[in-house]
Amino acid sequence: MGPGLNPLDPLTHHPHFPTVPKLRFPFLAAVMLCLSCLTVGAASPEQSVVQILNFSQQPLWDSPWRFDQVRRGSGTGFVIKGRRIMTNAHVVSWSKQILVRRYQDPRPYLATVRFIGHDCDLALLEVADERFFEGLEPLDFGPLPTVRSTVVTYGYPAGGEQISYTRGVVSRIELQNYVHIGNRSFLSVQTDAAINPGNSGGPVLQDDLVVGVAFMGIPGLENTGFFIPPPVVEHFLKDIEDGRYDGFPTAGIRIVPLQNPTYRRYLGLNGDSLGARIDSLLPIPATEAVLRPDDVLLKAGDYEVGSDGNVTLDGNRVFAAAAFHSAQHGDSLPLRIWRNRETLELSLPMSTYEDDRVLGNQYDTLPRYLIYAGLVFTPLSQEYMKTLGRDFRALGYAELIYELYYRRAEAPESARPEPIVLASTLAHPANANLRYTSRAVVDRINGLRIERLEDVIRAFDTATNTHHVLELLPNRALETVDRAAADAAHPEILKTYAIPQDRRL
Amino acid sequence: MRLFLCALLICLVPLAGHAAADDRGHARLWQAAVVSLEVTRQQYDHLQPWTRQAQPVAKVGVVIASRQILTTATDLQDLTLVRVQKGGRGQWWTGALLWADYFANVALITVDDSDFWKGLKPVALAPRLNPAASARIVRWNAGSFEMRKAEINRFDVTNPGFTDTAHVFAELSAELGGAGWGEPAFDGKRLIGLVFAQIGNVCHTLPAPFIRSIIDARAKPGYRGLGYFDFTWQPTVNPETQRYLRWEGPPRGVVVIDVVERPGTPSVLQPRDLLLEVDAFPIDIQGDYLDPLYGHLMLENLATRNKWAGDPVRLKIWRDARELEVDYLLPEARNAARLVPTAPYDQEPAYVLLGGLVFQPLTRDYLRSWGENWEERAPFRLAYFRNEEPTPRRSGIVILSQVLPDFFNLGYHDLRNLVLERLNQQPVHSLADLVAALAQASDGFHVFDFMKGDSLQRVILDAHQLEAATRRVQQVYGIQQDRVLPRAQAPTGPAPSVQK
Repeated sequence: MGPGLNPLDPLTHHPHFPTVPKLRFPFLAAVMLCLSCLTVGAASPEQSVVQILNFSQQPLWDSPWRFDQVRRGSGTGFVIKGRRIMTNAHVVSWSKQILVRRYQDPRPYLATVRFIGHDCDLALLEVADERFFEGLEPLDFGPLPTVRSTVVTYGYPAGGEQISYTRGVVSRIELQNYVHIGNRSFLSVQTDAAINPGNSGGPVLQDDLVVGVAFMGIPGLENTGFFIPPPVVEHFLKDIEDGRYDGFPTAGIRIVPLQNPTYRRYLGLNGDSLGARIDSLLPIPATEAVLRPDDVLLKAGDYEVGSDGNVTLDGNRVFAAAAFHSAQHGDSLPLRIWRNRETLELSLPMSTYEDDRVLGNQYDTLPRYLIYAGLVFTPLSQEYMKTLGRDFRALGYAELIYELYYRRAEAPESARPEPIVLASTLAHPANANLRYTSRAVVDRINGLRIERLEDVIRAFDTATNTHHVLELLPNRALETVDRAAADAAHPEILKTYAIPQDRRL
Repeated sequence: MRLFLCALLICLVPLAGHAAADDRGHARLWQAAVVSLEVTRQQYDHLQPWTRQAQPVAKVGVVIASRQILTTATDLQDLTLVRVQKGGRGQWWTGALLWADYFANVALITVDDSDFWKGLKPVALAPRLNPAASARIVRWNAGSFEMRKAEINRFDVTNPGFTDTAHVFAELSAELGGAGWGEPAFDGKRLIGLVFAQIGNVCHTLPAPFIRSIIDARAKPGYRGLGYFDFTWQPTVNPETQRYLRWEGPPRGVVVIDVVERPGTPSVLQPRDLLLEVDAFPIDIQGDYLDPLYGHLMLENLATRNKWAGDPVRLKIWRDARELEVDYLLPEARNAARLVPTAPYDQEPAYVLLGGLVFQPLTRDYLRSWGENWEERAPFRLAYFRNEEPTPRRSGIVILSQVLPDFFNLGYHDLRNLVLERLNQQPVHSLADLVAALAQASDGFHVFDFMKGDSLQRVILDAHQLEAATRRVQQVYGIQQDRVLPRAQAPTGPAPSVQK
């Protein structure tokens, strides 16, 4: 995680674009004006740009056996080599059915997700019907565009049925939080070309080469769209060469600028331009074996690290974390480190990091849960917190917030691998007298400390006393349920509330 | 029907006339006792603890004895001047604070000049409140004497001024605006309470019997101040909990779920004790007892019902299927009892400035600097410390609240609200620890280590240049003192003293 990232930030804006918003006429007029002056390359890349319709259904994280209503979203994709369609992960997430439409072709084709990378918001689709690819030329990728150069977006944004083109310049290139996953930052290109809902997944072209995949905007900022640049796309494509998507590895270090002259002198560093400090490490054994807090990062891979914590990547000053993004899962990245007043050449094993999965937006895997006697238990996650509303802090869920976002970093020795929350209680005489019925972190059940969902099952299954005893945070609030009454009520509650299974593990 | 109406009117007229005559009669008594108070106090900006401004506060007082004016303690801390006006107009007389008990929210003020007391007559405090009484809340308002009808809705228990103490209050309904500044409430000739807060048309009123208990206790030597219950309980409305605890009688009592370990004093309570009685008052499953004066009240009031810090409270508990009686010693209510305390009363905010780095103790006053919704707006982690109790490992919290930019602290300019764990390897729980650790610099460096998980773990400063840098920052930012350390405070709040 880079400096200044706040674990709550992802909820402050959520600029996914798969749905169709209402648009106003001034916007339409502006797009039409742009179209009149666009020059499309002779190769007609629009032939390879497709519209994607996704019928999706997401689970309800506070009623994890249920699903939200089916939604229809639309986005854009483009054909690349290997008879594959590239698009954004968020365009095809939680999909039940995907249809694709070719340029000026009335026929919809059925598509399926072949690979999906939620961290980098990219996906590859396949179409079984051979006719779909007839006459289509795959688009090729170009290099990272330079700042101030002109790019053209192709896509099927809201406001019409036909393909739309917008042109703009590359405004800047930096690391940005990828809001689809919410807790990862990668290289991103900002442009003033209009990128609107429905553009997501569409190609951004320069000289008929794809130099990016349109993927997000920030509500409230005008003339600001973002696209995923070639280095991130190439990493995704290389990752899947073995038939599996692993994801971007995480170095597990917090890099901070090292500009204070006294601190540099304390570490015995000369000069003031080179070297950023490693302030702390994530509990990743491979990282902890190689690096230490107060190591000074002089070079990562091919990039020298400045005292401001940035590297120069193709002429752009970007946060040094970008230097680690070239590595694949399982690679080792060469590092030059300053430690104990000498330079060391080290090799950092890079691997993906899953322990913070619950702090980001989750996809494709349905929430785990257990229901017993009407008590609904599920892992505490950002997805669960989102069910409490955007201003969940104002509603006083401090214990949930601390347990999810802070304890792991601050007191890992007391952190639970999978904190469990009593999400709700399905009313029944057997549980009607409970005082705490929802939104409480479970500390213990029948004396067993609850580290993960399986512990809840074990605590109930192995009980021998007359009562089940639940202790909830904070202050170990006590709740009791008559065990015989709970056992008797359990099947009845499942039937009453039409719950097909009492657990998903 | 018409006859009946006439008869009713005939009856009502004498009654109304009688009430009006009563009010007029009582008004003279009330006007001779009620005074206006003009308080000027230091208002500190805890985000810039070296700054302050004078804050005027208008309050109401009532004469209750010779040379004694009763009011609430609200906003009397850090006062620089108090003036008193009688009759709602004319001269303001310089007053003096006799004492203020911030935990009880009661204060007495006097005026040295004998001429002031001419024409004033004390009123008596009611020994009990009659819920059926038609009360009046009164005050001087722009030269006129304002009297508002008030009805007692109910009695409840509150924590005054963010303290741990809890005491009874009366909820009075009245068509009155801007109250909550010590307005007296009367039932006939007797004072039944002082209004200390207002929500809509509901005035929260400190009852006279509670006020009397505080005044009487303070008049005796060795006043120890109020205590409080430092254990956490929950209702036992779930009958299964009673069965689980093997209680076989009729439903009663509350279950203790958390106890605070006091150093050197093992708690007489344990989690899962069923608390049946407090000082012989049976406790019901909601946690209420039947008070002879006020009816059903939360058991917390039994910590302040004629009880003082250090007093034993006899508790009857059910533990391991046996009934036990234990003596619980009331801990003293004081600001420092919490991990995030209220800032000490009558002291300027504490801070230490080191080369532009501002260190402050984390207090509730600091958190309240984020405004009305501070619980949502203040940095979450700092605000969350309110839920934690002090431990030997962390008895207090010192934060790096901000950095005043200077080239000396280049690279640290954006740091704020970091929890300091150690300075020069020495644990820091207070500003005194911080100052002491400054003597432990090694090789000319001060090493500041912050709490794990914070946005930065370490800061290094040049020990040799620190003093010069601090002086430079003081000069640039206009800060007179580089440090203000907290003074030890009397356990019962400010000592009884007359401000001259």
